[in-house]
Amino acid sequence: MNDKHDGTVAATGGASEIQQRRVQVAQRRKKIDNDASAQYIQVCDHSFFYGSAQVLFDLNMDIPERQVTALIGPSGCGKSTLLRNFNRMNDLIDGISHRGDILIDGRSIYDPYLEVISLRKRIGMVFQKSNPFPKSIYENIVYSLRVAGRNRRAELDETVERSLRAAALWDEVKDRLRETAFSLSGGQMQRLCIARAIANRPEILLMDEPCSALDPVATGKIEDLIHQLKEEYTIIIVTHNMQQAARVSDRTAFLYMGRLIEYDDTETIFTNPTEEQTEAYVSGRFG
Amino acid sequence: MTKQQPLKTIPERFVVRPATLWFDRFMNYFITVGGLSIIIAVSLIFVFILLQVLPLFRGARVEPQGTFRVPGDDYVVMGTDEWSELPFFVNRRGELIFVDTVDPGGPDHRPPFTQTPAWLDEVEVSVVAYNAFRSQLLYGTSDGRFATVDVQYEATFPERGGREVSVQLRETPLMRISPAEVPVQRLAYGNSGNQAIVAAMQQVHDRYELHAVSLVQQRTLLGDGELSVDRSYDLSEHLDGKPEHLLVPSDADGVLIGMDDGRVSYLHFDGHEFHKRQMFVPFRDLDDRRIVSMDFLLGDVSLVFTASCGANRIFSLYRDPQRDARVWGHTKTFPDLERGASFYSAAMRNKAFLIGGGHIASLRYATTESVRWEEALPFWITHAALGPRYDRMLFLDDQYTLHCYRLNDPHPQAAWRTFFGRIQYEGQSAPEFAWQSTGGRDDFERKLSLVPLILGTLKGTFYAMIFALPIALLAAIYTSQFLRPEMKRFVKPVMEIMASLPSVVLGFLAALWLAPIISNAVPSVLLAMGAIIVAALVVGYLWGLLPQRIRVQLKPGYEFLAFVPVMLLVAYAGWQLGFVAERHWFVVEDPSTGLQIADFRLWFPYATGLGFEQRNAFVVGFVMGFAVIPIIFTITEDALSNVPEAFRSGSLALGASRWQTAIRIVLPTASAGIFSAIMIGLGRAVGETMIVVMATGNTPVTEFNPFTGMRTLSANIAVELPEAPYLGTLYRTLFLGALVLFLMTFLVNTVAEILRQRLREKYRAVE
Ligand SMILES: Nc1ncnc2c1ncn2[C@@H]1O[C@H](COP(=O)(O)OP(=O)(O)OP(=O)(O)O)[C@@H](O)[C@H]1O
Ligand SMILES: [Mg+2]
Repeated sequence: MNDKHDGTVAATGGASEIQQRRVQVAQRRKKIDNDASAQYIQVCDHSFFYGSAQVLFDLNMDIPERQVTALIGPSGCGKSTLLRNFNRMNDLIDGISHRGDILIDGRSIYDPYLEVISLRKRIGMVFQKSNPFPKSIYENIVYSLRVAGRNRRAELDETVERSLRAAALWDEVKDRLRETAFSLSGGQMQRLCIARAIANRPEILLMDEPCSALDPVATGKIEDLIHQLKEEYTIIIVTHNMQQAARVSDRTAFLYMGRLIEYDDTETIFTNPTEEQTEAYVSGRFG
Repeated sequence: MTKQQPLKTIPERFVVRPATLWFDRFMNYFITVGGLSIIIAVSLIFVFILLQVLPLFRGARVEPQGTFRVPGDDYVVMGTDEWSELPFFVNRRGELIFVDTVDPGGPDHRPPFTQTPAWLDEVEVSVVAYNAFRSQLLYGTSDGRFATVDVQYEATFPERGGREVSVQLRETPLMRISPAEVPVQRLAYGNSGNQAIVAAMQQVHDRYELHAVSLVQQRTLLGDGELSVDRSYDLSEHLDGKPEHLLVPSDADGVLIGMDDGRVSYLHFDGHEFHKRQMFVPFRDLDDRRIVSMDFLLGDVSLVFTASCGANRIFSLYRDPQRDARVWGHTKTFPDLERGASFYSAAMRNKAFLIGGGHIASLRYATTESVRWEEALPFWITHAALGPRYDRMLFLDDQYTLHCYRLNDPHPQAAWRTFFGRIQYEGQSAPEFAWQSTGGRDDFERKLSLVPLILGTLKGTFYAMIFALPIALLAAIYTSQFLRPEMKRFVKPVMEIMASLPSVVLGFLAALWLAPIISNAVPSVLLAMGAIIVAALVVGYLWGLLPQRIRVQLKPGYEFLAFVPVMLLVAYAGWQLGFVAERHWFVVEDPSTGLQIADFRLWFPYATGLGFEQRNAFVVGFVMGFAVIPIIFTITEDALSNVPEAFRSGSLALGASRWQTAIRIVLPTASAGIFSAIMIGLGRAVGETMIVVMATGNTPVTEFNPFTGMRTLSANIAVELPEAPYLGTLYRTLFLGALVLFLMTFLVNTVAEILRQRLREKYRAVE
């Protein structure tokens, strides 16, 4: 399941290339081990192409564990693309290719011996537009368990309650778990999607503008949620809302035209950015 | 409404062009009218078909036409000509009195006139019998002789128009039936052309005697010559009581004797001798078993009996499998006749008969056991005759008035039982569903059960769908969920081209090319199919077991590159193995030579007792499948592809595999569309005509054996409508078939639409 990497690191060929890759990975691992501040997710020289159009240019960033990292930048700068690369959702698109690498816990996500399915089980994702399945609330949440072949009733029930509580939705829906998910409001649906994403206890949670379609109250709820979830999960969130980024994130990355302009503590980015472009963007002068 | 001043200064960019408005309004109107007219057109088609069908279920209509005086006399026989214009009556002396019923008071109206056979003056007539089918009178005399008299009507069509019916008698000389010179009391005659016999009952002192003679006809160069007695038989030994009724079927192959105690003896004549074949009691279960009347129905293989209590039954001749001989058995029962039966007249075109007694006349149809018409008439009926064209009924009352009635019963055979029930037709040993609209003989009766056709339709549809559904659905899932888009761009149009193949071409291929191949290699075809299915599962399973190292060599969406060669290989192996299997297992012994023959075509009927035809449901299913697959495929593929991408990516992001995503998310969401696809495919299969017409033998069957053909409702219409006389029973029955087809598809579509709406409601994506 690794069709889309014919770049430099691509290893669709013979055994020697695979060998070469192994060495590379081992080297990186060593580097990480040596590094005192070992980072959880590492993006190394990562470039990305839709067909011949390059969208991401040599990104390098280290994302720490159990913190909220915000990706900000003007529309079309490649935030979603980067986010979707973490769980390889871009594989679905035709004619993509990449260069460089992304490591999670020291292991390349493009490793040909890594099942994409297990990668995705490890990484939950919340989409910009909430997308509950046309099933009951209950079935939506246990979906990731069911596809893994886990059908024990007790476990499912336990998961539903835990996930819904974590997503601050339990009290609102506990009496209507068998109703279709479409009967929920927009904000509830988005929280349901969060609950669904964390049902299988992933390690990482990707959120692509989770609040863009919500009113301030629902947005507030989800922001509170993010605060709680970061105790357990590593969260990467894309947002257009500067206040939101400032409120919820620990670290912020500013992307512009597919390049990482600045990446630092949120505090720093919003109060004392190094780059002029960052300053301009966060203060709302362009974007 | 206050009239508003138009704003003076509308900027030009806000002005709507009148043409735009006009076109918009026109299209609105046009689309409404178009839609409505389609609905109206469909309803009109339905109404039209219904109007064609409804007359089938109308009873006979009878209306009086006129009355005529008949000279008072003691009449024993009544007969009529083909047009029922010049009926005749025979009195005890044997004279024929003809009564003109045309244009009373007109210039050409003839008063009643009498004709007599030439020899009538010299003899004393003791009995006269009439065979209406042959228009022939049979005379018996007091001195033990007999003769036949043909009543030969002839119609001329004079210049001034109309029709003039004249009559002429043609009699045979008197012949001796038995040595006893005593009056003949009962007389019967049958002549098949090859052999002719006459049977007569006489009373010699206190003993009843039965004699029969076989007749020969001298054939001369100038045509048929005189009849003369060939051999005489004394059948008195078969009498053990007083015979009341005597009949000889027109085939002249037997004699039926009804005794006064209710028994019927059936003597069979094999051309040389008489043998007693059967003795039966038609009213065994009644207190009074006596037979009041006993007459033939058209064809002389059914007997209409009435009992003194008015019970009315039909016994028919059929082959008894135990005795391997044709015997009489009870086949039909009619409602009792209130006043018994004192007159009887069988129709000459169908299995109807006019029967009754006293004031009551009843027109009944034997095959369907139905009473077409029954009425108490305002006079006491002594004689009745059913017009040979089944368009008149003539009654003579006790005041010597002849009553003419017009009979309008164009579809006497039509009844629910005819079309949808089991019916025991003459000659059959059990009731069954049968369709057979044409036959070799004149007195052949059409069998019009739609059940074999409905079953044939279901059979064809079943085998087509069993073949098409899995392939079309799996192909659509594969194409929309797994195949690379660049391949998909190629596959879909190809399938759509397949859908546009004319079915006559498919039928042609099926009949002339595929049917012989398949029938020559049935085990191979089955094995190859089975092998593909099994291999697909096994290969899929093994593929999952392969180490990922090897699996990553094939990009997702290109797995088929590994798959197809395996499949081809396996199919080929299955095909070859089929011949081996045939050689070893499907072996029958040729009964004539004792040789062992390895041939599935012979083995299958031998092993299962079912038939095997070259053009069978299997081939039809296969080819009709080809007509149906592209339709189901295209619509299903569209439905699957239209599932919002968000569902798919949502599922994949949760760690579901592509197959799990397809089955758990995409398929249910698209279920409404898939359902429509299946229904449209089903509709096509149900209505498909050309393939079935060409690729089956069009035999109406009631079995689901895949190796015989069938006849579907649509094929039946296509095959028979050109031959069906306009507005006749067959014609209307074909329309009834069309109506059934219409209702079947209507029902299926309605149910489907309801289910589809439910599914759509359930899996509706929020916008
Ligand atoms: N499937 C695709 N095929 C080709 N180009 C794409 C595809 N998806 C995105 N792009 C292009 O890649 C670039 C980055 O898109 P991306 O969706 O990552 O932007 P974004 O930063 O998320 O923007 P926004 O804030 O508006 O969501 C854009 O120029 C876009 O046109
Ligand atoms: Mg985006």
